[in-house]
Amino acid sequence: MLTVLARKPAWWPHFSSTLRSTAVTARLGLVLGIAVLTCFLTGLLSYFQYQAWEWLPPPASPVWGYRVTQGVHVATGMAAIPLLLVKLWSVYPNHFRWPPFRSVKRVVEQITVALLVSATLVQVFTGFFNVLNWYPFRWDFLSVHYRLAYVVIGSVLLHVAVKLPDIVYGLQTKIAEGDVLTELPWNENPESHSIAGPLPPPVTPGLSRRGLLTATGAGIGVVVVTSVGQTLTPLEPIGLLAVRQPSKGPLGVPVNRTAEEANVIAAATAPDWTLEIMGPRPYALTLAEVEEMAVHEARFPVSCVEGWSADAQWRGLRLLEVVERAGGAADSQIRVRSLEPAGFFNKSVIFGPQLSRALLATHLNGERLPVDHGYPLRLIAPNRAGVFNTKWLATIEVLS
Amino acid sequence: MKVWRIILAVVGVGVGAYGLFQLLTQLPRQTLVLLALWLIAALIIHDGLLSPAVVAVGAALRRYVPDRGRRYLQFGLIMAAMVTVIAVPLIYRAHTQPPAKALLLQDFGINLTVLLAAIGGGTLIAYAIRVAQDRSLPSRPTADEAQH
Repeated sequence: MLTVLARKPAWWPHFSSTLRSTAVTARLGLVLGIAVLTCFLTGLLSYFQYQAWEWLPPPASPVWGYRVTQGVHVATGMAAIPLLLVKLWSVYPNHFRWPPFRSVKRVVEQITVALLVSATLVQVFTGFFNVLNWYPFRWDFLSVHYRLAYVVIGSVLLHVAVKLPDIVYGLQTKIAEGDVLTELPWNENPESHSIAGPLPPPVTPGLSRRGLLTATGAGIGVVVVTSVGQTLTPLEPIGLLAVRQPSKGPLGVPVNRTAEEANVIAAATAPDWTLEIMGPRPYALTLAEVEEMAVHEARFPVSCVEGWSADAQWRGLRLLEVVERAGGAADSQIRVRSLEPAGFFNKSVIFGPQLSRALLATHLNGERLPVDHGYPLRLIAPNRAGVFNTKWLATIEVLS
Repeated sequence: MKVWRIILAVVGVGVGAYGLFQLLTQLPRQTLVLLALWLIAALIIHDGLLSPAVVAVGAALRRYVPDRGRRYLQFGLIMAAMVTVIAVPLIYRAHTQPPAKALLLQDFGINLTVLLAAIGGGTLIAYAIRVAQDRSLPSRPTADEAQH
């Protein structure tokens, strides 16, 4: 019985492509690792917009800060999808080591690698689906994406620790000369250079390994250049794979949640709309008063968590002036509420430098706000995630 | 190197365990069940369907396409596959959103065709140049022959 198990069956797969090598995998993995780390760090910055600490308010400058970090987050995550698939192709034979469960150590490694691969695949694909406003996964995207990110980055670090000798070998070896990666580990493969001594480099009769990396880089280049136009405005015209086309939104700015989706059309267009300001000295402003006070201009981009952004010119009231009249101050915590009856994004809290520079906007790019952009009044602040620039404002509360 | 490996492993296990703990304690049971299904499905789809298909295509190319042309075909197919992976969800989701969102307004099927045609055209031109070069130097062996 044991001898039967010990012998590799004849049908066991054999991988003979000389394209695969630790020298190739290490190079792909290095770039993928940088991409994953970039996504993790920019993702944490984005999460900070959602859960800012009271003692560390989100900064207001540079005004394009979130535009850049979140644009990089989404573009890098999208580019990581095809890169991840090529990287996994390069190590596919590792699944077919014989015997399959050779040691406890090996089984533990396989379990952690399975977790790494599945968590990373789910993370990048659900992130991409979220950008497409597509939720086939039926869970709350943010709460899973945020926590799964720690699983991904943790298992990447563990993976690097386990593979560090292979990574060092791969990166130090000339790409054409590295041992061929097959289902045999290098230290059991009689054809590996490390065992057989100096040998001529493996022949790659079709595409060369360098050609493989060039094709991968070119593929990623095409994906990035044709998709990043949703963030990098000059590239919008060639955005063949761009999810959003910011210039096609009303007044040149896309809408993330329409008035119809928020169920606010009737309330937002009612002529007797008033803005309630609550605080030590509460008061209210009518539509006419708000429009009369809207004389301040600012240029802040709208930057969405989904990666798209658009530069925009705003006109409106200074939020701080409105708050001060109610007894608040620059160091107050302010909560703004929308006419939208329910939902996570029908309110937001603003404080610190963003409060000092925020506008309650009535005009966008020289026109009165369309209802989809938040008519009659919306919040807009610099370096602030789009979803927290609350639209269809109903109340302003001085919390402290 | 050993110290680095230990540091990386300890930090990695710590951060990963924190993520798992957060998932297990902060999310409703229904979400966890769905997430577990997705994690398993991702492995099955990738390792059980996609990867064997790619390996089979590679083996077929090696068997039926001569080396000189295969080099260019492989290059073009890698690029084409990478672009297609991103384009397919876009095609599926196109024209599903209110126009004010400026979201998924394009005909991504046409766009993908344009990109694939450009990749195919570029690959074909590079191959044609190579064939012409090999012909204009009849006295020297081609790279393929030199290798044998």
